[in-house]
Amino acid sequence: MRYTSFTPYDFVLLAQGLGVSLALFLATSLIGLVIGTIWAVIRFYRVPVLTPFIAFLAELLKNSPVLVQLFLVFFGLPALLKINVTPVEAAVITLSGNTAAFIYVIAVSAIESIGRDQIESARVFGLSRWQVLHHIIAPQAMAFAVGPLTGLLVNQLQVTSLISVIGVVDLTKIGNILNLRTLKPFIVWTIVGGLYYVTAKLVALGGAMLEKRLRAHTAWKGL
Amino acid sequence: MIRARGVRKSFGSAIVLDGIDLDVESGEVVSILGSSGSGKSTLIRCMNGLEKLDAGSITIDDFDVSRPKDLAEARKRSATVFQLFNLYPHMTAVQNITLAPIQVLKRSRAEAEAAARTLLDSVGLGARADAYPAQLSGGQRQRVGICRALAMNPRYLLLDEITSALDPEMTAEVLNILAQLAKNGTTMVFVTHEIEFARTISSRIVFLDKGQLVVDLPTEEFFAADGGMARPRISQFLSKMRKD
Amino acid sequence: MPFDVTILAPHVPFLLKGALLTAEACALALVGSLIIGLLVAALRTSSSPLLSRAAFVYVDLFRNIPFIVQLFFFFYGLPEIGIYVDAFTTGVIALSIAGGAFSSDVIRSGILAIDTGIIEAAEVSGLSKPVIFRKIVMPIALRTSIRPLGSVFINLVLTSSILSTITLNELTGSAKIVASDTFRPFEVYAVLLIAYASLTYLVSLAIGVLHRRLNRDRMPEVA
Repeated sequence: MRYTSFTPYDFVLLAQGLGVSLALFLATSLIGLVIGTIWAVIRFYRVPVLTPFIAFLAELLKNSPVLVQLFLVFFGLPALLKINVTPVEAAVITLSGNTAAFIYVIAVSAIESIGRDQIESARVFGLSRWQVLHHIIAPQAMAFAVGPLTGLLVNQLQVTSLISVIGVVDLTKIGNILNLRTLKPFIVWTIVGGLYYVTAKLVALGGAMLEKRLRAHTAWKGL
Repeated sequence: MIRARGVRKSFGSAIVLDGIDLDVESGEVVSILGSSGSGKSTLIRCMNGLEKLDAGSITIDDFDVSRPKDLAEARKRSATVFQLFNLYPHMTAVQNITLAPIQVLKRSRAEAEAAARTLLDSVGLGARADAYPAQLSGGQRQRVGICRALAMNPRYLLLDEITSALDPEMTAEVLNILAQLAKNGTTMVFVTHEIEFARTISSRIVFLDKGQLVVDLPTEEFFAADGGMARPRISQFLSKMRKD
Repeated sequence: MPFDVTILAPHVPFLLKGALLTAEACALALVGSLIIGLLVAALRTSSSPLLSRAAFVYVDLFRNIPFIVQLFFFFYGLPEIGIYVDAFTTGVIALSIAGGAFSSDVIRSGILAIDTGIIEAAEVSGLSKPVIFRKIVMPIALRTSIRPLGSVFINLVLTSSILSTITLNELTGSAKIVASDTFRPFEVYAVLLIAYASLTYLVSLAIGVLHRRLNRDRMPEVA
C-alpha cells in the first residue's frame, strides 16, 4: 500500500531528520574546532615536518569537493583497510576533517592579525611561548575569529546535507524519502529548504550575539 | 546664459545656499570666491544637477535643471571639471574623453578619437593619449579632465576648485590652459582659491559668504581699493588667502 | 589489496570525458552566475526599495539553503510544472542561480566601493543610467572583484560534483562508475580528490594572472 499524501507522521520524520542533521553538525563542528585549533597551535610552534604537512592537508581538504571526501572515507577506506565504516562514522570523520581545515585557516589568520610586535614584546618580557598564546593571543584571536567562524558554521551546516548521499538519514534524506513517496517535489523541497534556512539564520544570529558579547568583553578588558 | 534665482540649499540643519541670484552671460569668465564652507562648490553642483535645489531655480539657456526633461539638455550645454579629476580609472585618456561624445552626441568613434587627440595635443598630452589615469601625474590627470569637458563642446564650462588637489607646479600647468580658454572666449564659472589667477582671467568676481552672495562686481572694481576690497569680510578673506 | 593507482590507467579516457563535462557545466554556470550576479547586484544597488528588497531575498535564500536541496527542487520540480530538461541543463541552471547569489554579493561590494565622484562625472556628461552602468560601473566593479569572484568560481567547480546526484556523469559521476567497475574505490577517490585540488589550484593561478593583467598600470592602489 502506498501513502501518497502527507500524513501527520511526516512531521515526526522531518523533525527526526532535522535532529540528525543538527546533531552531526554540532558534533563535527566541535571536533573540527578542536582539531583545527590544534593544527594552528602546531603551526604557531613551528613544529618541523608536521607544520608543512598540515598546511598541505588543509589546502587539499579546502580545495576538493566534500562529496569526494565522503566517498573516499565511506567507500575507499573500507576497501583499502578492510574495515567496516558506517555512514554515520564516515560522515563524522569527513565533516570533522573538512571543518578542521577551515578552522585552521581562520585560526592562523586570527593569530597573524595580532601582530608580531605584540608577540615579540611579550616574549621580551620573559613570557613563554605558551603564556603568550594563552594570555596575549587567545583572547584577541577569539574576538577576531567569531565573525569568520559564524560564516563558516552557516556554510558547514549546509555541507551536512551531502551525507544523505552515503545513506545517513538526515533532513535531506527525509526530503528524498518524502519526495519519492508523495511525488510533490515543490512542497517537500520547499519545506526542507525552509527548515535549513531557519536553522542557518539561527546559527548566524547566535554568532552575531556571541560576537557582540565578546567584543564588549575585550573592549572592557582593554580599558 | 546661466541664470540662478533665489537658490536655496541646506544639508540637514546647515544652510549652505541662502537665496543666490546670479547671471552668467555668454563669453564671461565668472570667478566665485569665498572661504571653505561658503557654498561655492554646492552652487556649481546645483548648476549641473548633482544637487537638488530646495527652492529657487537655475536655468541654462532657459533649460531648468530641476526638471528631469530639461536637465539632459542643460547638461549637454555645460560641462564640469572636478576637484579630484574623477577620471574613469579603467579607460585611457582618449577613452575618457570620447565616451560621452560617442554615447551622448552620437559621434563616430573615429571622429571622436581624432577630436580627443587634437585636444590632448593642445594641452601638451599628445604623447600620453593612451595612458591610463593611474599612469599620469595629478596635473596631467586634470588636463585630461579639462579635455573630457571640452570634448562635449560645451557653451559653459563649470570648474569646481580644479587646482585644489594639485601642487603649485601642476597648478600652473592647468591654469595656463584656462588662460588660453579664456582668451578664446570660453564661458566659464570658476570656483577657486587662486585669487591672483582669478584676477587675471575673470571678467567678474562673485564673493560668497555663509551661503549668501555678498559681492558681484567686475574684476577691476572688485580689486579696486574702494571697491569690494574695502568690505571688511572680503579684505579679511583676501589677506588670509594671500598669506596661505 | 595494496594501494595501486596504475589500475586506473585504462579508465583515464572515460574519466577525462567526465572532466570535460564538468568543465562545460562550470563554464556555462560561470557565465550564468556572472549575468545573474550583475543583474541582481544592479537591482540591489538600485534606488527602488522594492527591487533592492527582492534582490536581497533572492540572495539570502539561495545562500542559506544547501545546494543539493536546491538541485533536487529543480530536478524533481521542473517536470512537475511541465518543463522537461535534461540533467545537464538542470545542473547548469541550478549552479547559475546559486552562483549568481554569491557573485552578486561580491559584485555589489565592488559597486559600492566605486568612488561616487566617478559616477557624478559620468552623470553630468549626460550619459544615461544604463550606459553608466554598462560602461563605468560594471567594468570597474568586475575588475576590482576578480579575486573574490575567483573564489566563487572555485566553489562552483567544487559544488559541481553534487550534480552527480542527479544522474549526471560528470567527473565525480564517472569516478563513481569506475570505482564500482574496478572495486578500487580508494584509488579512484584519492586520485579524484587530487584532481579537483589541482584543478582549483590552476584556476586560482589563472585568476591571479587575470587580476594582475586587468589591474596592472590601470588601477594601482590609490595613494
